[in-house]
Amino acid sequence: MIPLNYYLLFAAFLFSVGVVGVLIRRNAIIVFMCIELMLNSVNLTFIAFSAFMGNAIGQMFVFFVMTVAAAEAAVGLAIIIALFRNKKTINIDQINLLKW
Amino acid sequence: MLEQVYNSLQFIKPELILVGTLLVSIIVDLIFKNKKVVVAFVILGLVLSFYYLTFLNSINQLIFFNMYAIDPFAYFFKIFLLVATIGIVLFSVLSKEISDLKSREGEFYYFLVALTIGMFLMTSSTNLIMMYLAIELTSLTSYMLAGFMKEEKSSSEASLKYVLYGAFSSGMMLYGISIIYGLTGSFDLLAINMAIADGVSSLALLISTVLMFVGFGYKISAVPFHFWTPDVYEGSPISVTTILSVASKAAGFSMLMRTAKIMFIDPYAAPTVNDWQIIDSVPIVEILTILSVLTMTLGNLVAIWQSNLKRLLAYSSIAHAGYLLLGVLTMNNEGYSATLIYFVTYLFMNVGAFLIVMLVSNKLNSSDIDSYKGLGMKSPFIGVMFALFLISLTGLPPTAGFVGKLYIFAALVNKKLILLAVIGVLNSVVSLYYYVRIFRNMFLRESDIETPEIKLSLAEKLLILVFAIPTIGLGLYFAPLVEFAHASVEIFSGN
Amino acid sequence: MLNLYDYIFYFFAIVILGSSFVVVFSRNIVHSAFALLFTFFGVAGFYVLLSADFLAITQLLVYVGGILVLLLFGVMLTNNIVNVEIKSGTMQTLPASLIAALIAGLLCGIFYVSNWYLVPTTPELLNNTTAVAIGYAFITTWILPFEVASVVLLVAMIGAVIIARREKAPEVE
Repeated sequence: MIPLNYYLLFAAFLFSVGVVGVLIRRNAIIVFMCIELMLNSVNLTFIAFSAFMGNAIGQMFVFFVMTVAAAEAAVGLAIIIALFRNKKTINIDQINLLKW
Repeated sequence: MLEQVYNSLQFIKPELILVGTLLVSIIVDLIFKNKKVVVAFVILGLVLSFYYLTFLNSINQLIFFNMYAIDPFAYFFKIFLLVATIGIVLFSVLSKEISDLKSREGEFYYFLVALTIGMFLMTSSTNLIMMYLAIELTSLTSYMLAGFMKEEKSSSEASLKYVLYGAFSSGMMLYGISIIYGLTGSFDLLAINMAIADGVSSLALLISTVLMFVGFGYKISAVPFHFWTPDVYEGSPISVTTILSVASKAAGFSMLMRTAKIMFIDPYAAPTVNDWQIIDSVPIVEILTILSVLTMTLGNLVAIWQSNLKRLLAYSSIAHAGYLLLGVLTMNNEGYSATLIYFVTYLFMNVGAFLIVMLVSNKLNSSDIDSYKGLGMKSPFIGVMFALFLISLTGLPPTAGFVGKLYIFAALVNKKLILLAVIGVLNSVVSLYYYVRIFRNMFLRESDIETPEIKLSLAEKLLILVFAIPTIGLGLYFAPLVEFAHASVEIFSGN
Repeated sequence: MLNLYDYIFYFFAIVILGSSFVVVFSRNIVHSAFALLFTFFGVAGFYVLLSADFLAITQLLVYVGGILVLLLFGVMLTNNIVNVEIKSGTMQTLPASLIAALIAGLLCGIFYVSNWYLVPTTPELLNNTTAVAIGYAFITTWILPFEVASVVLLVAMIGAVIIARREKAPEVE
């Protein structure tokens, strides 16, 4: 039997990997993928708690997180495509019209 | 089960009307070519929602299985949000940027309605799921509104930065929510409060609170979660900037205040009106103090060397969020009502200032501080009005800004937090410098190039007056506002 | 001796971790996108292990079938496919690794010392979260979030189309 802590630690590690990805990658789509990793790790935490608590509410929240993640991906990619049409690049370093 | 759903529906009439307005506007936008019809429907919907909202004046209960609260606190913020949104819709009608959108103009207006729905939900949610959904609805609409001028590179860039930053912050907040779920087994704020009061692991509680405050801090542009604010405010269309800086911030604050009051106040302590007993293991006051001081200081200091007025006003609104947090961290009725008073004054002075910037950039096509040279002499109406708004933003009497700051500092002094009050006053003095710079450019400098006199139409003058009159009026006669704020601090927190 | 359950857990764990590293550290975007596919599959497998069967299928439908396809569209539409060398630079690896180690350490620390709100049960007991139970819950207790989620989706749909569509070319004055 895998104890709860294994799932939680695993999810925490996945979350950290996602955070690293958001901080160090320069391509906007890869940053999006890393945000999806973070959301997946959160979902995993919810379901792990839900299973070991005998409480189904955690699973309900995961539905809503998936919904919102899909909506956010749609909007985010639309914005990326609009930006690409304007500037022909999605490298965050080159997106620097707005400065300090 | 269903009985409760049926009974709850009558209390959310304002929200239902707004959703109806959204749907009707989508269809109207498809049918009619003239986009002003959409504007008319949107304003009609907002006014109708306001009308139904006034019936909820004295209700104080939870509906929808404890997920949604109808109480005076939510009532105050909903009135505020509707007034702000109606103001912004009128503002956008006069804005050249929006009327240049041509085919997308109708969609802009009903996205404002969708943003209002999201903000309404933010003010009333008492369940973490509803809070998350409300934040995401508001954020998604804001990302799209910020990127509405697709042809401008700066707008798309602002929108992209906003999306990445916002998605990251909401991911962090979600992780905090998951830890709280693990500690307490529930998403309902009241149940979480009982569980925390009974004792949970303090390290996990601290980390999860900090993570949740990443999400809240991003919404209210508190430092160090403010990095998106200057870029988004500068790149977006100016009506979007205004609504983000006033309404979205208000909704974020209402959620923060509600969460702090319900989740972290000891339910076993004797209820006192003016001093709330905080649960021992939660250093909420320390967290809010750090946020507030950082926000005020950084906002004011960086605003000093800005030369673009939109960016300057962005940093100034970050600083104002710092002052508002001062009212929240006192954690008593007086501080909360001071924050509410400050918000109302902030609405009028901030929208007024942005309105002037918008009208000037309509005619001069520039938001740079140098293009304001000599403006006061050539167009005296604009000069005087802008001076009024700037004096109010600094917080000098006899304007509304002074009243707001007075109540905040009074609440701090009554709680014996003299040092924080001193820091607040010092920050106001620093802000005087950059506001006066604009003033000086307008009245005491001659412009280098020949700028035309800015003639305003009657509608534009009227709209400026709509915001200018309360700015000076509330500075002189503020008793009804204070009473309204005192009555509105009642947040439903269990029997 | 490990039983089958544990073997499955470790298998999926290695799949998820390996592919998530590829997502974050790969220089080739298309490699990252397909590694993300394996991550989603692995997480769906974990959901089944935690007796959230309906959610596992929803994960496959929504994440793999929806979000991943959207991401692939995004990758294909925003890169010059002719230029095969799809480089995505990374920079400042050292501070980022420090931050990541800090976060991971902090979170792992919490998960070791905390007392969770647990009842003494095993995952097998949670066998009534069928689709029927979930559907019933959505219409009674969770009706408000359900309706709000539908507004979110409506607004996101319309907005994505508005932002992403190609406008008619502006007339040259």
